[in-house]
Amino acid sequence: MNSVGIVFMKEIREILRDRRTLMAIGLAALATPVVLFVISQVSTKTASQTYTVGYTGDIPSGLEILFSSTGLKLERIDDPATAAKQQVDIGIAFTSSGIDEYYDPTRQSAQIADVRLQTILSRYDAARIAATLQQKGVDPSVLDPLPVTVHPLSSPTKAAGNSFLSFFLPYILITMSLTGGLSAALDTSAGERERKTLESLLLTPAPRSHVLIGKILAVTAISLTAALAAIVSMLIALSQISFGGAQNGAFNVALSPLAAVVMVWLAVLLAASFSCLTIALGTLARNFRQGQAYATPLYFITIFPASIVLFIPDFNPNVAYYLIPILNAVLVLRDAITHDAVAWSALAVTSASLVLTGALCFYAALRLFTREALLVRS
Amino acid sequence: MTESAVKVDRLEKTLGSNRVLRGISFEARSGEIFGLLGPNGAGKTTTLRVICTLLAPDAGSVEVLGFDTRLAPREVRRRVGVVTAEIGVYPRLTARENIAYFAELSGGVDGEINGRVDAVLDRLDMRDFANQRAESLSSGQKQKVAIARAIVHDPPVLMFDEPTSNLDVLASREIREFMVEAKGRGKCVIFSTHVLHDAERLCDRVTIIHQGRVVASGTTSEVRGGYQDLEDSFLSLVEAAR
Repeated sequence: MNSVGIVFMKEIREILRDRRTLMAIGLAALATPVVLFVISQVSTKTASQTYTVGYTGDIPSGLEILFSSTGLKLERIDDPATAAKQQVDIGIAFTSSGIDEYYDPTRQSAQIADVRLQTILSRYDAARIAATLQQKGVDPSVLDPLPVTVHPLSSPTKAAGNSFLSFFLPYILITMSLTGGLSAALDTSAGERERKTLESLLLTPAPRSHVLIGKILAVTAISLTAALAAIVSMLIALSQISFGGAQNGAFNVALSPLAAVVMVWLAVLLAASFSCLTIALGTLARNFRQGQAYATPLYFITIFPASIVLFIPDFNPNVAYYLIPILNAVLVLRDAITHDAVAWSALAVTSASLVLTGALCFYAALRLFTREALLVRS
Repeated sequence: MTESAVKVDRLEKTLGSNRVLRGISFEARSGEIFGLLGPNGAGKTTTLRVICTLLAPDAGSVEVLGFDTRLAPREVRRRVGVVTAEIGVYPRLTARENIAYFAELSGGVDGEINGRVDAVLDRLDMRDFANQRAESLSSGQKQKVAIARAIVHDPPVLMFDEPTSNLDVLASREIREFMVEAKGRGKCVIFSTHVLHDAERLCDRVTIIHQGRVVASGTTSEVRGGYQDLEDSFLSLVEAAR
């Protein structure tokens, strides 16, 4: 075995005996299904929950049936405006001239109840108008001169699932590629210095570049394992969980084979780049703690692009944006999940950008690892 | 006369703004314990680090068994074993795994490496704790691991940099006995220390350095001169050099 392999095997053995790293991987694999289960429960509960509508006055005939079938419960109250603040979700007053509605927009339950109420009322109005027109011998279709027939090109429930996945999966992939191997990276660089083993290691005939490559490969393997463990556990959880509640079109989320291949490829590139970067930072540090301080800004730097899909769902940049590391991985993965297709030019630019980033980080790590100050500063 | 194993010639080294070595020269031979003496900050550790290729010389040259440290650093590192006061070991590896790691990095085929590790475990009487994780070892046991990893490739040149400074009396004695044994096996042993009592008992020849310069060199008795012991001679030389 050459020195790269020797260092790799030793690092892997040490990492696998390190409780910190194993806990990080284990927690990531366990936490994701738990978070998804909670989200699923909340979304199902929200979809099937009955909201209370407080009212005064006389309910127009037939309207109460629509209320009960849409998950709205009617409750007679004295003052709809006061009751809408806390006692009920929205308050309405049936008057001779129409309906007065009172709701607090800061309450999410009031917003949902309002949407349902508007839906009911528009259906009710349409039905009453149609009945009146028919009584007078007029065809109700005159009210809809341009009827629209919708033909979705893919399943709306699948699209909802893909939309959910296109945010969640890149986020987990990027954060786990970074955090999964961070402890191992700092331990193998700053930790080596702190434990006073670095000098003995550099005294061996093994070239420093080989030692460094062995360390980077080991940390990359751990980062990749952590990211893939979190994603596989997420996908298993998603296959068992449905979102949205039965009455509103429940959906399951699944990853297409194409998106899976793209994800693994990006995971390899991200894990390798992050490993080079974190080892470079660890080499700069005098001890593990200082290394953690150096690495902390990376959380913010990586989380921002990972969140962009959440804040700007329709962000469709030109190919130049795919040069920006991390953001490019998020966009490629989002496209692969959402459209089940890959723009090969975007993937090529993304791959080149991430390889170049990894190479620069490796060069920085190598420079730091081969300088005399590595020993003298300690 | 025995040929020089380590030849240091007008060695200079500056670290940052500190001119640490200012033209150090000496020769250490196979089959002797050579003392590199001096107060803290004299430049002993820097000299050893240049010899074992961790640092590059700014001027002058170092040869180890004929190999120039600048031209053939890997060949030099194959022939040198270094034991320092810092007994850092990999805590999550066993004593045996720690030693095997360095044996593998020093080269050799798998079967040969196991044989070398077993031999060094026997030689340093480490069988009882060979399979314990290093994090559970005592300081003396860790020091044995540090020695074992430095000698597992059987280097002809051994360098000890303040090896006893963190050890108790018993562990220190074992180190001294090991150096004497290595000398008996024909190794060139360079012993860097500021503990002059140890140096006087162990060393065949010594070089005293102070502020990056050699202030005395020769056999122990030559350097002691007319003084009662090496410490008095050392103090006198250092005082004269100020």
